[in-house]
Amino acid sequence: MSAAPQQTILAVDDSASMRQMVRFTLEGAGYKVVQAADGVEALELARNGPVDLVLTDVNMPRMDGIALVRELRSLDSYKFVPMLVLTTESGQETKMRGKQAGATGWIVKPFNPEQLLATIGRVL
Amino acid sequence: MSTSSGTADTAIINAAALQAAAMPPEHQIAQMLGLCESQLESAQHESDQSVDTLVQAFTSMAEITRNIGAQAAALPVERGSAEGAELQAQLAKLSQQMAAAVVAFQFYDKFTQRLGHVRYSLSALALFVCNPAQVQQPEQWAKLHSTLRRLYRTQAEREVFQMVMDGSESATENTSVALRGPAATGDIELF
Repeated sequence: MSAAPQQTILAVDDSASMRQMVRFTLEGAGYKVVQAADGVEALELARNGPVDLVLTDVNMPRMDGIALVRELRSLDSYKFVPMLVLTTESGQETKMRGKQAGATGWIVKPFNPEQLLATIGRVL
Repeated sequence: MSTSSGTADTAIINAAALQAAAMPPEHQIAQMLGLCESQLESAQHESDQSVDTLVQAFTSMAEITRNIGAQAAALPVERGSAEGAELQAQLAKLSQQMAAAVVAFQFYDKFTQRLGHVRYSLSALALFVCNPAQVQQPEQWAKLHSTLRRLYRTQAEREVFQMVMDGSESATENTSVALRGPAATGDIELF
C-alpha cells in the first residue's frame, strides 16, 4: 500500500519503541512521519507546520492524547484533520471522552500494521 | 573469605535483621514494598536497554530488506523473471515476519506499562501503610482502591481488580488466567 506523496503524519507516544514501530510502519507505506513524545511537544510541532493526520497515544506525561485532540480541534487549521487515538485503553468511558474531544477513531494497541494502514487510508 | 570475616558478616546481618524486626510492622511492610518496587525498576531499566537495542537492530534490518525489495523490483525484465519472482516471494515472506515482529514489540510496551502500574501500586501502598491512622479508616482504603483501579486499562484488568477487591476465593488463580489473554491485536473503531 502506498500513500500519496508528501502526506505527513504526526505520531505521538511517550514510548520510544512504540514510536519506532509506528514510524517503521508508516514510512514503509510512503508517509512522512514527524514524532513527539507527549502532547505538549506534539502541539508545538502541529502549530509549526501542518500535518495531514495525527496518531496519538492517550496516557502520556505533561499532556495526554485526549487533551491534545481537544487543543488541536480548537485551532482553525486542525478542525478537519483526522485524529486517530492509538492506545491500550479499551474502556468505553475513555473512548467516549476521546470522541467528545474530537477524535476521528480509536485503535487499541497492539496494532496490526496492515489494519493500521487501511484505517489511515480510510480517514485521509 | 576467611572464617573470621564470615562470622563478622553473619553478625552484621543478624544485627541488621534484629534492628529491622524492632521497627513497627507498618514500616517493615513499607520497606519490603519499597524493595520490591526497586527490584522491578531495576529489571525494567535493564530490559528497556536490551529492547531498545533490539528495536534499533530490527528497524535497521527491516529497512535493508525494503531496500533489497526495491532493488529487486527494479531489475530489468529479462533478468528479473525466475530469479526475480523467487526473490519477491522470499521478500513477501520476510514482510509478513516483520509485521508479526511489529505486533510483538508492542506487547513489550504493554508489559512495561503494566509493570509501571504495579510499581506505582507498591509505592502507593507503602506510603499508605506508614500512616496508622489512615489504615484504620475504611473510607481511606476505598480512596486508595479507587486510585489504583484507575491504573487498570482494559475491561479484563478492571474485572479482575474488582474480583480481587471483592475477596473472591479464586481471584488469584483467575487473575493470571484473565490477564494472560489472547495475543491478538486490538479493536479499531471509527467515530
